[in-house]
Amino acid sequence: MNVLEAKAISKVYRVDGHEICVLDDVSFTVALGEFIAIMGSSGSGKTTLLSLLSGLDSPTTGRVLVEERDITDLSEDELAPIRNRTIGFVFQSFHLIPSLSALENVMFPAELQGQRDAKTKAQALLDRVGMGHRTGNFPHQLSGGEKQRVAICRALINEPHILFADEPTGNLDSKNGDAILDLLLDLHRERQTTLVMVTHSPELAARAERVITLHDGRVVADARNGVAAGAQP
Amino acid sequence: MIASLRATIALLHPTFIRRQVTSARKQSTVLVLCVALSMVTLVALRGFGDSVNRALIRDAQALQAADIKVDSNFPLSAPLVDEIAAIETEGLATTARTYQFVSVVRVADGEETLLSNLKVVEPGYPFYGEVTLASGRPFHAVLQQGTVVVAQELLDRLQLQVGDRLQIGQATLTIGDVVTFEPDRPVNFFTLGPRIFIADADREALDLIKFGSRIDYEVLFKVNDESNLDAIADRIAAVLEPQEDVATYRSARTGVQRFFENLLLFLGLVAIFTLLLAGIGIQSALTALLRERDNTIAVMKTLGATGRFVTVNFLAVVSILGIIGTLLGIGTGLLLERLFPLLLGDFLPPNVQLTISPRTLLEGVALGIIVVTCFTLLPIFQLDELKPSFIFRKETGTWQWRWSYALIIVVLAAFFTGMVLWQLQRMSLGLYFIGGVLGLLLLAALLTWLLLWAIRRAPLNTMIIRQALRGLFRPRNATHTIVITLSAALGVIFCVYLLERNLNAAFVEAYPEDAPNAIVIDIQPEQRDGVAALIAESNLEEPALFVPTIRASITAINGEPIDAEAEERRRGDNLARPYTLTYRDTLADDEALVRGDTLFPTDGSVAAPVSILDTLLELRDFQLGDRITFRIQGVPLEATVTSVRTLTSEEGFAPFFTFLFPEAVLRSAPQSIFTALRMAPDQIGPLRNRIVAAYPNITVIDITETVDNAAAVAQRLVRVIRFFSLFSVLAGVLIVISSVYATRQARIQEAVYYKVLGADRGFVRNVFVAENLLLGGIAATLALFMAQVGSWALCRYLFEIAYHPTIGASIGLVAVTMALVTGVGMAASQSILASKPILILRELTSTE
Repeated sequence: MNVLEAKAISKVYRVDGHEICVLDDVSFTVALGEFIAIMGSSGSGKTTLLSLLSGLDSPTTGRVLVEERDITDLSEDELAPIRNRTIGFVFQSFHLIPSLSALENVMFPAELQGQRDAKTKAQALLDRVGMGHRTGNFPHQLSGGEKQRVAICRALINEPHILFADEPTGNLDSKNGDAILDLLLDLHRERQTTLVMVTHSPELAARAERVITLHDGRVVADARNGVAAGAQP
Repeated sequence: MIASLRATIALLHPTFIRRQVTSARKQSTVLVLCVALSMVTLVALRGFGDSVNRALIRDAQALQAADIKVDSNFPLSAPLVDEIAAIETEGLATTARTYQFVSVVRVADGEETLLSNLKVVEPGYPFYGEVTLASGRPFHAVLQQGTVVVAQELLDRLQLQVGDRLQIGQATLTIGDVVTFEPDRPVNFFTLGPRIFIADADREALDLIKFGSRIDYEVLFKVNDESNLDAIADRIAAVLEPQEDVATYRSARTGVQRFFENLLLFLGLVAIFTLLLAGIGIQSALTALLRERDNTIAVMKTLGATGRFVTVNFLAVVSILGIIGTLLGIGTGLLLERLFPLLLGDFLPPNVQLTISPRTLLEGVALGIIVVTCFTLLPIFQLDELKPSFIFRKETGTWQWRWSYALIIVVLAAFFTGMVLWQLQRMSLGLYFIGGVLGLLLLAALLTWLLLWAIRRAPLNTMIIRQALRGLFRPRNATHTIVITLSAALGVIFCVYLLERNLNAAFVEAYPEDAPNAIVIDIQPEQRDGVAALIAESNLEEPALFVPTIRASITAINGEPIDAEAEERRRGDNLARPYTLTYRDTLADDEALVRGDTLFPTDGSVAAPVSILDTLLELRDFQLGDRITFRIQGVPLEATVTSVRTLTSEEGFAPFFTFLFPEAVLRSAPQSIFTALRMAPDQIGPLRNRIVAAYPNITVIDITETVDNAAAVAQRLVRVIRFFSLFSVLAGVLIVISSVYATRQARIQEAVYYKVLGADRGFVRNVFVAENLLLGGIAATLALFMAQVGSWALCRYLFEIAYHPTIGASIGLVAVTMALVTGVGMAASQSILASKPILILRELTSTE
């Protein structure tokens, strides 16, 4: 089954009367359990593509299907359960809720679903990523790497089918960045979660099974890596 | 419905709500203070009003000193006298008469004189309440024939003590005691002199009550059976002349009641104005608080939170802050109520007990709920517009109109209208007020928009000013809201201040040099020459002009009787009051004809012509040829309007007469004479002494002293109004603070960039100072403009006095405002100025 499908999507922004075409006629599909890297230089449209695929934004033209359901014209309230159960998101800037502790941040999506064991699940996830001793700390008390670990746990607590990661190591040093990437890939293998990651780094992209390259809003390459997913090039 | 409520409650996230309430302390504090401010003055006024009303209702009989009171400014008409006698004969009630008038009294063994307020009372007065004396003795035990009871002020001013003697009219009476409280005059707002009580047994001996004397005649009734109260009042009402009035203790509106009604009404308007501005502050502070949460809300939506989830939880946050603000507002309002005795001083009846009534508390809670709901709906509803993509693109986007916004505007409008009508209890006045406030805010908004539009385009070379201007228009800066709110609030305060200055200048400070400063009244015709001789001893520059006066009332116009009740319900002047007629065959120096070819026809075509003053046309559209029926000492006189005069002098200090007759018509009518004099102030006292020694019935009034006393009373009231108006300025100040906090990130960025590029702390501080000075200056300038226009219009068209813009004071007002806004803005910006760039840069790159 195609867990994700983009059909000729384009995105045009209008700023002060000028039209800026960020994405132009992008089409591809993603199978369940795949690890895809979307690569491109700054301004190529990769983050915009990610926001469209995840339903955080809507395309100007084209269709987006998630698990073979067209989400293009769904309202915010109709998208909410999809965001909560089907999709997980890891941001470059972590975007943890500052007024909630690490444990509470991870629990939040599960509590939205009304899960009674949200706390237990959250604790287990945090233990898994080595943050079990920092559950009571608030985001401003955590380092960048620690915040991203918490963000990953939050993204996975509802066991989504698709995990979107937007430059997840972009704000981290190389040591932390490698650790986070390893963690993501480990979790992807464990849970068979489809992983769609945006990166500008060819090294990171080389660890994916498939790389979609964007340039000026268009797909210029869509190739499978010869290397097995997760392995170092 | 229950299922829906349960589903809503299930959406509540207590931890999230608790954390949101306790974080963003500064904006939350501003929001709480705005909620409290919106209610403080209204709670204080409602509580105080309740306390006063309870006291007045409880003591209604004492306030009138009777069950029923009849009063008139003329001797009672024969039918009324007969009816009163019948009521007494039938044993339905006991009566007591009183006579109240001003007269000059003299120290019996000296020359000193004093204008005093005399009250001659029959035994029985007061039927309710007590006249308390300094000695503690019973009133009627002291007030016997030959003895008077006086106010302490009289003893102080005449250097007398109890036991000394006073010459009052033709009688010499002994001071028996000092009065400390009168039940029917619990508050002494303004009188022409200290009180003297005189027993009725001495009335004839005084020989002061003559034709033309200005006397308040009262008959007090104590009914023997309460159930007959209304029936007796109705019998009396059936025989009343237009100048006579009857009221029971239930229906009467005494001077005290009218004073507090009007005072609380006016202060209530100020309080509602404050509520409106504070409501704008609530909305502004909440908008700023939610803007700080934009990222959080977007993240929540990416995690699957629905719009309803976000709305419900932030509504809960706002509700908790609203409850805290409401409790603070109620508590502060009740404390403020305790300040009323300090503010009002002896304007407050001594029997008023300030208590906290459950009704006041409930009203306060209800008000808090409604205020918070109305002014927070729009920012909360707008949360729905925030999309998760905000995380990636922080553009503000175009604002989209929704029908729910129209509903919110309708709710706000209904709330405001309801508040005004609840407070005022009068539809027409309420609508005028609403129109006035909306007009003021619209005008402020329009002027703000125009001025800021012009300023934004002004070419500026000075770097600091240029940066400061850019700062005014940085995103999320509430410059427009601040300027509109501050200028509207300050406009009202400035207007009151300018009006007060102009009224003072017109009536107190700049008393015209050629205007009369002393009036001699109640001169009988046969006393005229003698008084003229006494006046001549003062060596006046101009001879005294003696003017005849005849007291009369209007009973009909063109044959139709006037409706006395309807006339008395008018605000301001009315046709049912007593008028003073005079006669003269020529126009006065300060009069001119505006209708009619001549003052009076010379061909004898009209038997009794009368010339009217144009001010009378405001009460009724009189035409030449209209017939007015007067009653002069019980005798009717029908006169025909033959001309209309106007006063040519703007200063209203020379005596003027609404009705002028030719000499031939009124020469023989019962009359007294008065004269208005211009003399050295230190000559007025000796003149008064000479005249009263020779003619005890004549009264000499020092006008400047009277005007000074009236001005002092007015200034006390203005201080109360100004105190309450300051609360509306507080609303503007809170919005300034909220705006500084809302733009903290942007200000930090600017400060860091300046420093990174080489500017020192002084430069950064100067830019912020300049920005706040500009903000305060713009708001104050607009406020001053509106205040100058408003006070000019009031002076020109309402008070009809010359207008002076008082440039010096105006500049001072602007300077004080600029200093206030700058002080507040800089205080709120201190943490930004003090931070090191590197720490702030780290904070900026960390999004949370």
